Amino acid sequence: MTELAQNLIDGLGRGSIYALLALGVAVVFGVMHLLNFAHGELITVGGYVALWTLGAGWSWYIVTPLIVLSAVLTSLAIERVAFSRVRGSSDFTLLLTSFGVHFVISAIFLLYVSASVKPFDRPSWVTNTYSVGPLNIEVYDTVVIVVTVLTLIGTTLLLQRTMFGLSLRAAAADFDTARLMGVRSDTVIRGAFALSGLLAGIAGVFWLMRAGSISPSAGITPMLKGVLAALIGGLGSLRGAVIGGLVLGLAEVLLRSRLPDSIASLTEGVVFLLIALLFIFRPQGLVTVKHAVRV
Amino acid sequence: MFPRPGRDVGFPVAGCALLFAVFLAGGLIYESFQGRAAERLVTVMLIDAIIVLGIQIYVGNTGVLSFGHIGFGAIAGYAFAVFAISPEEKLKRIPDAPFGLNDVLLNPALAVAVAIGVTVLVALVVGIGLARSGAESGAVAATVITLALLFVTHEVARNWPDLTGGNRAGLTFKVGAALDSRLPIYLCLLGALIVARLFAQSRSGKLAVAAREDNLAARAMGVNPLVQQTAALLISVAVVSVGSSLRVYENGSILPDDFFFNYTLLTLAMLIVGGRNSVTGALVGVAVMTIGRELARRLGQDGFEVFGLGLDAAPLDWIFRENLQTVFLGLAMLGFMIFRSEGLLGDWELDSWLWRLWHRRKPETQPEPLAEVAPVGLHAEVPHEGAALEAGDIVVDFGGFRALDGAGLSVAPDEVVGLIGPNGAGKTTLVNVITGMVEPAEGWFRLGERELTAAPSHEIARAGLLRTFQNLRLFDALTVRQNVELAGRVAARHRPGRHPQADALIGEAGLWDVRDRRARELDYGSARRLELARAAAMAPTYLLLDEPTSGMSDAESNEMIRRIRHMAAAVDAGVLVIDHDLNFITGISDRIYVLDQGQVISVGTPDEVQADPAVRAAYLGAESDTQT
Repeated sequence: MTELAQNLIDGLGRGSIYALLALGVAVVFGVMHLLNFAHGELITVGGYVALWTLGAGWSWYIVTPLIVLSAVLTSLAIERVAFSRVRGSSDFTLLLTSFGVHFVISAIFLLYVSASVKPFDRPSWVTNTYSVGPLNIEVYDTVVIVVTVLTLIGTTLLLQRTMFGLSLRAAAADFDTARLMGVRSDTVIRGAFALSGLLAGIAGVFWLMRAGSISPSAGITPMLKGVLAALIGGLGSLRGAVIGGLVLGLAEVLLRSRLPDSIASLTEGVVFLLIALLFIFRPQGLVTVKHAVRV
Repeated sequence: MFPRPGRDVGFPVAGCALLFAVFLAGGLIYESFQGRAAERLVTVMLIDAIIVLGIQIYVGNTGVLSFGHIGFGAIAGYAFAVFAISPEEKLKRIPDAPFGLNDVLLNPALAVAVAIGVTVLVALVVGIGLARSGAESGAVAATVITLALLFVTHEVARNWPDLTGGNRAGLTFKVGAALDSRLPIYLCLLGALIVARLFAQSRSGKLAVAAREDNLAARAMGVNPLVQQTAALLISVAVVSVGSSLRVYENGSILPDDFFFNYTLLTLAMLIVGGRNSVTGALVGVAVMTIGRELARRLGQDGFEVFGLGLDAAPLDWIFRENLQTVFLGLAMLGFMIFRSEGLLGDWELDSWLWRLWHRRKPETQPEPLAEVAPVGLHAEVPHEGAALEAGDIVVDFGGFRALDGAGLSVAPDEVVGLIGPNGAGKTTLVNVITGMVEPAEGWFRLGERELTAAPSHEIARAGLLRTFQNLRLFDALTVRQNVELAGRVAARHRPGRHPQADALIGEAGLWDVRDRRARELDYGSARRLELARAAAMAPTYLLLDEPTSGMSDAESNEMIRRIRHMAAAVDAGVLVIDHDLNFITGISDRIYVLDQGQVISVGTPDEVQADPAVRAAYLGAESDTQT
């Protein structure tokens, strides 16, 4: 029982980060039907910002907003340079464009800083734990969960209460109709990328604090988690993305602690296998979004 | 009629041989100038070509982007290595290999066969998930599953050292035991070319392309995309397995990172730069990217000089030049996607071009021109035993909106029935239900004795209900003739009997002069007529036409009425035609159903319906009010 509770807390911490990543992926998918394989690069950029500023002796309190800011700016920049040119293209083109962006960004870092993994200082409190009864809770997980909840509340308010949020949700539901109703596609798409960058930036801060290092290929794993979580939740559903992130995080933690030792190292493989099974039996993901095709 | 040996087999095979010869000659000439240093480069290029061709079979024909093929390659590569490496070598790397694999040793050819078997088996399972999610949430979901597959294989390879030798050691052939002859590579490349090209020309390949162009339209004419896509996947994975085994064999070793992200990027870049929809394009892409990457590599080392044009690397000293190759690949992929997403060649094929060149000299004879008498070859005889189309009590809800509320109708063979009603009355929804595209909450429909209420679209089409779409769904990238022939192929398989000839239908639709144009280039009226001809090519029992004259002038409409009646009579089909234009419907129909707010409010001959006060109230209400 204690172990299960412990797992749940650990899983929620991990799942919160995945949820933020998945939500960023889903927001962009909603307005552009683009599954952004370059989403993880927003964290890579933030990672080098952290490396250089921390290296210059700046504290995490200053570096944190800089990481978030760099993710937002990078997100807007890749929209302007690449994605704005392929709006309305086929899924195939959109997917490979984002794959290309992923490689170009990591290649730029390869050129400047080489493939090596560079460490930086983690905040001292990341590894601290405190006890509640029999449970050992990490300060880090607590902070992650609290910040994620606050971020989700903020995002929900943004989506529910503002004109921009309304436009974004309308565009996600039916982009063409939204445009006819006067939603400006440029504004809403750029807004979506900014929001996506913001969410990736917040997730990135936590990701980097835990990792304590950066390399040009560091964005691959967070990208994969975000994309998979969005898919588990049901592509196009913002609520589904959050649920998908939490489910993925919990599944990873639970499996790692429950699988027999001999295959514990294959946890990720088992998780993928479960996802594949999910798609065989429930191909539309956990949260159903009806894509009505007019015929 | 199918397959045509010259067009579908002879020319493609000859074309592949020619491509192979040119490709190889290019490599050998380069080698003769550059000496032994270039040998490895050419060998690697040949093997890359096999793998890229394998990927092309799936990605090109189905239009689904796959990141997973290199993952399949990893499975094949490890399977090959485990079976082909001698037990003594395995004892050093994987002494605790599971399943008693330590003592197994097969000769390389057999090991390749095992690798194909294992990988195709995995692909079969993955393929089911791919097909199901693809059908439900579109190609994007399928792509993410392939990406997940790539990561699973990599993760398993890294973390199962008992089988794979893990991340550091890997599996290695004994020194000198690796592949040292190019002959197997040549044979496999030629084979891969022929397999890829023949698959594209095959029935499966063409139907997969139809589903790629328009999934819904393909299903509406009896194609089951899941079957064709799975066929493409299995053949594609088999070719990739051969290429991957060769890659391991030639390399003499395998590590998890050999078949991961970077190689996926490389092979996909090769495929899309040349043109993913074409076998010729795939090969051109391999050549172009190999050259480009070699130049980037040399620029990274010490600059290069080609034909007097040199680039000095010195100004680049401040960056990590060895990574220029990756930059080049990423930029090539991004650039092509943004500026020329169909690649260098689009869907240009060497053998098709040669075929057209060869046949330009002898022009085809036009079938009997459009006349009162239908041209020879138009008539169809598919037994349908006077089966009536009947539907009843159909209820459909969209969210809170009840689109159909107990509607029904019946159409007798050889009858032309009109379905009319104001916008939003539920006309299209009724046809969507009858063609299996919208699931009704209640109700039933059948063709003769056959209950079709819960059947999937493609089975309904095979049973003989063929539709056209309000907003035109043609296979845009295919020619007029290919559009019609494709339907003929499905008919030949699933509708026993005599079918109308494609050329006769094209003549009848007045499209003979544009028969080799692509569907996307047609004007609006021609596109409408092509959709009609395509549906008629299935020798349908009933044609369901959704607003066949929308957007046409009166003169064009009248011409279309004549064509519909003529063509339906010739292929012996009943007709259900939808429109909201009363003049058009009364002009074409023997009998009319009037639909309003999801219910049938009147049935009868055109005169009866026009005289019905309920119809005048509901449908002509506004008009009659102003007249009185």
